[in-house]
Amino acid sequence: MMDAGRHPNITLLTYSEVEDVSGYIGNFTVRVRKKARSVREEVCTGCGICQEKCPVKVVDTGFEAGMGKRKAIYRPFAQAIPNVPVIDRENCLWFTKGRCRACEKLCPAGAIDYEQQDQILELKVGAIVVATGFAMWDPRKLPQYSYGLSPNIITGLQFERLTSAGGPTGGEILTAEGKKPERVAIIHCVGSRDVNAHPYCSRICCMYSLKHAHQVREKTGAEVYEFYMDMRAFGKAYEEFYERVQEDGVIFVRGRGAEVEVLPNGKLRVKGEDANLGRLVFVDVDMVILATAIEPQPDADRVAALFRLGRTPDGWFAEAHPKLRPVETATAGIFLAGACQGPRDIPDTVAHAEAAAMEVVKLFNLGEVVISPTVAVVNEAACVGCGECILACPYSAIARNIRGKAEVNPALCQGCGTCAATCPSHAITALHFTDQEIVAQIDGLLERAML
Amino acid sequence: MEQPRIGVYICECGINISATVDVNAVAEIASKLPGVVVARVYKYMCSEPGQKMIAEDIRNLGLNRVVVASCTPRMHELTFQRVLEAAGLNPYYFEMANIREHVSWVTKDRKEATEKAKRLVQAAVMRVAFHQPLEPRREPVTKAALVVGGGIAGIQAALSIADAGYPVYLVEREPSIGGHMAQLDKTFPTLDCST
Repeated sequence: MMDAGRHPNITLLTYSEVEDVSGYIGNFTVRVRKKARSVREEVCTGCGICQEKCPVKVVDTGFEAGMGKRKAIYRPFAQAIPNVPVIDRENCLWFTKGRCRACEKLCPAGAIDYEQQDQILELKVGAIVVATGFAMWDPRKLPQYSYGLSPNIITGLQFERLTSAGGPTGGEILTAEGKKPERVAIIHCVGSRDVNAHPYCSRICCMYSLKHAHQVREKTGAEVYEFYMDMRAFGKAYEEFYERVQEDGVIFVRGRGAEVEVLPNGKLRVKGEDANLGRLVFVDVDMVILATAIEPQPDADRVAALFRLGRTPDGWFAEAHPKLRPVETATAGIFLAGACQGPRDIPDTVAHAEAAAMEVVKLFNLGEVVISPTVAVVNEAACVGCGECILACPYSAIARNIRGKAEVNPALCQGCGTCAATCPSHAITALHFTDQEIVAQIDGLLERAML
Repeated sequence: MEQPRIGVYICECGINISATVDVNAVAEIASKLPGVVVARVYKYMCSEPGQKMIAEDIRNLGLNRVVVASCTPRMHELTFQRVLEAAGLNPYYFEMANIREHVSWVTKDRKEATEKAKRLVQAAVMRVAFHQPLEPRREPVTKAALVVGGGIAGIQAALSIADAGYPVYLVEREPSIGGHMAQLDKTFPTLDCST
C-alpha cells in the first residue's frame, strides 16, 4: 500500500470512478470522475484535527463493517493512502443543516473546501487492468442464521475488525456486552455451496475460519465449536495450519451448521448436524461467527458493460480461457486481476495480478499491436450512407466519413460480419468471410456428388 | 486467380479422431477434390513432424493452399498459420475443418461420423480455393496503464507495471486504497499483518 502511494510512476486517483471507456487495445480513452472530497488534497497535511473535532458520529458500515463509528469528516483508517480525509456530505451538518463548519475553522492548513466540485479527467492509456474485487454476501438473505437479531452474531469480516488492534475494541475479542466470550461457534459455508445462495465454494472461508478459531483460542481461551462440511485446506502450508488449529483444542463438528436461535437470555443456540455421529447437535454459545460467502460486486453489471467484459454463469467476470488465458478477456487490451474473476485468496490474488501486469508490460514492450486483417471493408461506390451498419455494429467500429459513407475502424472491428449481413446495398464485405467463400463452403457441405 | 494447389492434412489426434472417423477414407475422398494435390493422414498433425510434413509439401509440391482437418481452430489455427508463414505462404491461405469437437467427440456411429468429416473437409477445400492473402495491420501503443480497483490485486498489478517503468493510473472508488485487505487483521497461514 505504502509503496503504491509513493511510487513515482503511479498516479493515485482515489475517491474516483471510471465513467466511460472508448477506443481499443493500445489506444483507450478513459473518462474518470474524481469526486469532491471537500478537502484540498494538495494543502491537507493529514494532521487529523478535523476528524477529532467533528461533532457528528455515524456507524461506519464501510471500513469497520458496522462494528465501529466514524465522524462525518473522516479518514477511513489510520494508515489510509492518501492520508487525506473526506467529508461525507450526507451526514455533515454543513451540507445537511447549513451550520457547524468546525473543521473549516479548526483546520490549520485551510484545506477544507465546501465548494469543491467533482472533476472529470480524461486519460489516454494503452491497457486496462480490471481489479474491482468482490463483495461480502449478506447473511440476512438466509434467515435461519438469525443475522441481525443479535449483535453477537457477526460475519467473518466483522470479526476481523473485532480482533484488529486498530479496531473498535483495540483488538480485544468481546461480546456486545463487553465480556470475553466463553463459548464461540464458527459456521462455515454460510451462503456458499448452497443452492439457496451461491452454489460455488468461496475458497477463502475455511482458512479464515481456522484463523479465527486460532485467534479466539489464543486471545480468550473460549471453547470454539467449528461447524464445517469439508475442510478445504488446499494451499501451500494450509494443511499444516489446519493441524496447528486442531492442536489449539478447537472442537470440529463435521456437518452444516443449520440454524442459529437467539434464546430469551440472549445466548445463542446453534443447531447442526454431526455427520460423524449421525445425529443433530445443539450448542449454546456467546458469539457466532458466520463464514459468509463472497460474491461479485453489486455493480458488476455496470462495470462489465463499461469494459465490455463477459460474465461466467456465477456472475464473476469471464477470463478468455479457464486454463490457458486466465487474465485476458473478450476485449483485447483489457485484463482481469484478482477476485473480480472468481473467489481467490491472497497468494492466488497476488499471482493473478502479477500475470495481468505481465500481459500489460508485454504489450508495452512490443510497442505496437498487431490487428487482425479479418475485418469488414466498405465499398464506397455502393454505399448509400444509410447508417444501418452503424446501428448494427456491436463494437461501435463504424462511422460516417467526410463523404457521408460508412467507414470501418479496423482496430475496433472484430470481424463478426453483422454489418455485412445488415447492409441493404451489399456494400460491405467481411474479409476472409466473403459471400463467395461462405457459399463455396456451404456448397461443399451440401454437395453429395463428390462423396 | 492462380490455379489452387491444395494440400489436405487429416489428423488422427492419437485415437481421439481416428477411433470414430475413418481418416483414410476421408483422405481418399479429399485427394479427388478439385485442386487437391496431396491428402495425408498423420497421428498428431500439430506435432513437430506433422508441421514439418506440411512445410515440406508446400516447398516440394508447390502448394498454395492448406486445409487441416483436426481439432477446433481455437486450439491450433495459429499453429498451422505459422507453418504456412514460415514456408513462405500467406497465413490466410489456410482453412481448418473441425472433425474432433464437431465430429468424433459428439458422434458415436463411425459411418455417420466419417460422412460428416468428409463433408466438412470438402467444404473447407472448396472454401480455401477462394481465400485471399491478407496482411495484419500494426498500430502504436500508448505506454500507460489504467488499473481499476485499489485492493490487493490492483495494488500488486500497478506496482509491477510501474516497476517495469511505465506510468500507471490507479483508480479507487473509496477515499483510500487498500480494499478488503486493509480491514483484515492477521492473514492465514503465516499470521502476518495485512497492511
